[in-house]
Amino acid sequence: MTSGELGRIAGGTPRAVETALAELAVAYEGTGLRLQRSGDEWQIVTAPQHAPQVAAYLGADRLRLSAASLETLSVVAYRQPVTRAEVEAIRGVNCDQTFYTLVSRRLIEERGRKEAPGRPILYGTTWEFLECFGLQSLDELPRALSPEGALVLEGSRGSGP
Amino acid sequence: MESQAPRVTVEGFDGPLDLLLELVEEKKLDILMVRLGDLADAYLARVRAMAALPADEVSAFLALASRLVLLKARSLLPSLEPLPDEEGESEEELRLRLLEYAIVRERAGQLGARLRAGERAFHREGGTIELPPKGGEVDALASAWSRVLALASRQREEDIVAPGERYSVEQRTIEIEALVVAHERVTFATLLAEAPTIGFAVVTFIALLDLYRRAVIDLVQDELFADIVITRREPTSAPN
Repeated sequence: MTSGELGRIAGGTPRAVETALAELAVAYEGTGLRLQRSGDEWQIVTAPQHAPQVAAYLGADRLRLSAASLETLSVVAYRQPVTRAEVEAIRGVNCDQTFYTLVSRRLIEERGRKEAPGRPILYGTTWEFLECFGLQSLDELPRALSPEGALVLEGSRGSGP
Repeated sequence: MESQAPRVTVEGFDGPLDLLLELVEEKKLDILMVRLGDLADAYLARVRAMAALPADEVSAFLALASRLVLLKARSLLPSLEPLPDEEGESEEELRLRLLEYAIVRERAGQLGARLRAGERAFHREGGTIELPPKGGEVDALASAWSRVLALASRQREEDIVAPGERYSVEQRTIEIEALVVAHERVTFATLLAEAPTIGFAVVTFIALLDLYRRAVIDLVQDELFADIVITRREPTSAPN
């Protein structure tokens, strides 16, 4: 549900809705529920720490992804919106199969087209992605890297074009 | 392999960059400092050791191999001038690509760890809840239930030991017609009397339909499952 819809139903300004949602998020802390946000969309979901019980109740299987799919997914998650060619350039391999896997598992989806020659399709992560990784929003994507990784990132910034 | 999806893997390497990064890590080299040309031999040795690969995979590995060999040649012969229209990336460009890939691999590892931890969320399935229409549904439900109870308490036909009555539609039609003439207004419930057997009810109903078809009677039912009111239709054209 978008905050716009919430505002229309509850009769509040977007600002008031955002405030109320923030309060609700705080109120849910320590309970079995929490708010998940994707852009302007909000949804109430179960708290990740109770995933084993909820999964047992729903009979849900744990999501499994190959290393290749995870790599592609991480590029899309951190660089979205991104085209397949851009992901392939970074990974240095053809990503047809992993894109197919990720789209069919609804972890990534089309996000319009890039204004570039051929108008390639742009991809971004989905609701299901946030859910599967227990993230309340994309802001929660882990930013910190290991010491080696941080060094690498520094290096790429320092010597970047 | 975690995934069940069929996927082409190259001796455990997800492409040439993955192999190159693996070599850097195996030799505990610094991505920022290593002379990538120095890795050409090790890289070629690994590629040579690979089993037959699909052509498009091989070409990607070989493209990087040729790049590495060129970098090595450069470092051995510093005086080697770059060809004027030399294609491809410089060592620094390749290094940047490798760095970027190293970050991607680390982030992928972090995401993978999150997946394995299994701490995921679930949303509520299903769409909008359908609300029942407004009104005295509870009363309707209660009276429906009492009708069911009344029906259930009736003597069932198979319980009757004596040979069952025989009903004839013709006979019943004549009876109903007489009733309608006498009373002007009769309900279906009265026709069925106190405890009708199923056979009696069916014959009565068929007789009603037949009378209606012959335009002898009119049938009115105010609402769903309400009692049916039977009235005599006034003869319009036929002489009385």
